[in-house]
Amino acid sequence: MFGYLQIFKDELKIKEYEAYKSVYCGLCRQLGKDYGFMTRLILSYDCTFYTILLMSLKRSCTGFSDGRCKFNPLKKCKFAACKDDAYSKASALSVISAYYKVIDDIDDSGFFKRTALKIIKPFFSRRQRKAAKCFPDIENIVREMMKNQKAAENNEYVTVDKAAEPTAGMLSGLAALEGGSDSQRRVLSEFGYQIGRWVYLIDAADDYEKDIKSGNFNPFIMSGINDQDYIGSVLSQSLARAYDAYNLLDIIDFKAILDNFMLYGLPNKQNAVLNKRQEVKNEQSV
Amino acid sequence: MNNPYEVLGVSPNASDEEVKKAYRELAKKYHPDNYTNSPLADVAEEKMKEVNEAYDQINNMRQKGKGTGSQSTGGYSSYNAQNSKFYSVRIYIQRNMINEAENILNSTPQNERDAEWHFLMGMCAYRRGFNEQANTYFNTACNMDPNNAEYRTAVNNMNTQRAYNYGGYTTNPNTNSTACSVCDICSAIMCADCLCSCCRSC
Repeated sequence: MFGYLQIFKDELKIKEYEAYKSVYCGLCRQLGKDYGFMTRLILSYDCTFYTILLMSLKRSCTGFSDGRCKFNPLKKCKFAACKDDAYSKASALSVISAYYKVIDDIDDSGFFKRTALKIIKPFFSRRQRKAAKCFPDIENIVREMMKNQKAAENNEYVTVDKAAEPTAGMLSGLAALEGGSDSQRRVLSEFGYQIGRWVYLIDAADDYEKDIKSGNFNPFIMSGINDQDYIGSVLSQSLARAYDAYNLLDIIDFKAILDNFMLYGLPNKQNAVLNKRQEVKNEQSV
Repeated sequence: MNNPYEVLGVSPNASDEEVKKAYRELAKKYHPDNYTNSPLADVAEEKMKEVNEAYDQINNMRQKGKGTGSQSTGGYSSYNAQNSKFYSVRIYIQRNMINEAENILNSTPQNERDAEWHFLMGMCAYRRGFNEQANTYFNTACNMDPNNAEYRTAVNNMNTQRAYNYGGYTTNPNTNSTACSVCDICSAIMCADCLCSCCRSC
């Protein structure tokens, strides 16, 4: 995942923002606990989103405690306490996706970067094995996604829909694992699918100019789509469908934060990416 | 059945006005129009039913004797084209058996691929989450048969989603992303009001 699942801070109350941060810090602490100090560096917004969603669905957050940041001992921070394995799951997901990202980058990079990645690979593979042992379901889903992604990118007739499917399917699968009933699983599956699709496609929109230069795979370039408004409408539709599914979830805990993700955070991120593209284009035409 | 107050998310001490407001909010949220052709239409329908029942129950308990008046929200998800040659495809789609539906559609000869065929292909793609493909098929269906309300609705639904505008968000880079004009508020209230009157008889 790519760091697009962020809140829009301006629209949160201070206490809600504190709660968000305390989950972020809690996840960081868990990464350190489960996989060692250096693993904390792979902490991501995406996995924080995943943690908050899990904690909200299972209603497992039991309160907040005070502590200090390991990276900056002068900074005090709060940690959200959780009575189930939401943090462990999110840590495992972080480690597993970081590992596959390294593997993927080794294939795609130039000589120097490839060598550097090969040196750090054992660091990740050791941790990945540990995570896979604890959460084999998560490992299976992520591995499957990497395999499908490769296949999709090597298919010369791939459409935008098909290119986005592996990432969408991965989030769909991960979310569906958490469903308590059949109908909740279906709702989560649709929610995850559209969020995953959005994440994949916004990343593609973001990397558009870069991929043109480097010749890397990009679904929009492949399909000859370059119209700003059109890309916007493709992304918006995924958000709209994700939001409709989200509304069926009966969220109680962290509702304000999750609402913020859906109504402000993600649309705002989309705006930022599309506006940045627009500026680059304007510069080029001047 | 669940506690009706919990269903509406209000306290048992809430005033009638508060209960009514909570009910309206939820009825708006779960309204079938938000789930046109969605794979989750049945889940939303179920929720809507729960909310209606809870509201009725509270009103009965408070002895006002006025309910939602709507005994069921049925009818919207059942297809009316029972005599269509793609009837079995529609049944498969309704049951979320997309592979089976697509198999039949794909084996349809080229010369029999009419507007309905394109519409149903669009439905399959939409259920899979393939929004782009669905958009193309729905538009083709609509162009082939512009007078068909079902196809028109599907296209309109796609267009609404593609202009996702929750939270006052706008794709126009020149305006403040959180801006929401007075006009927007008015039109939102008017829309909400229309929605409410759709599913309530009073």
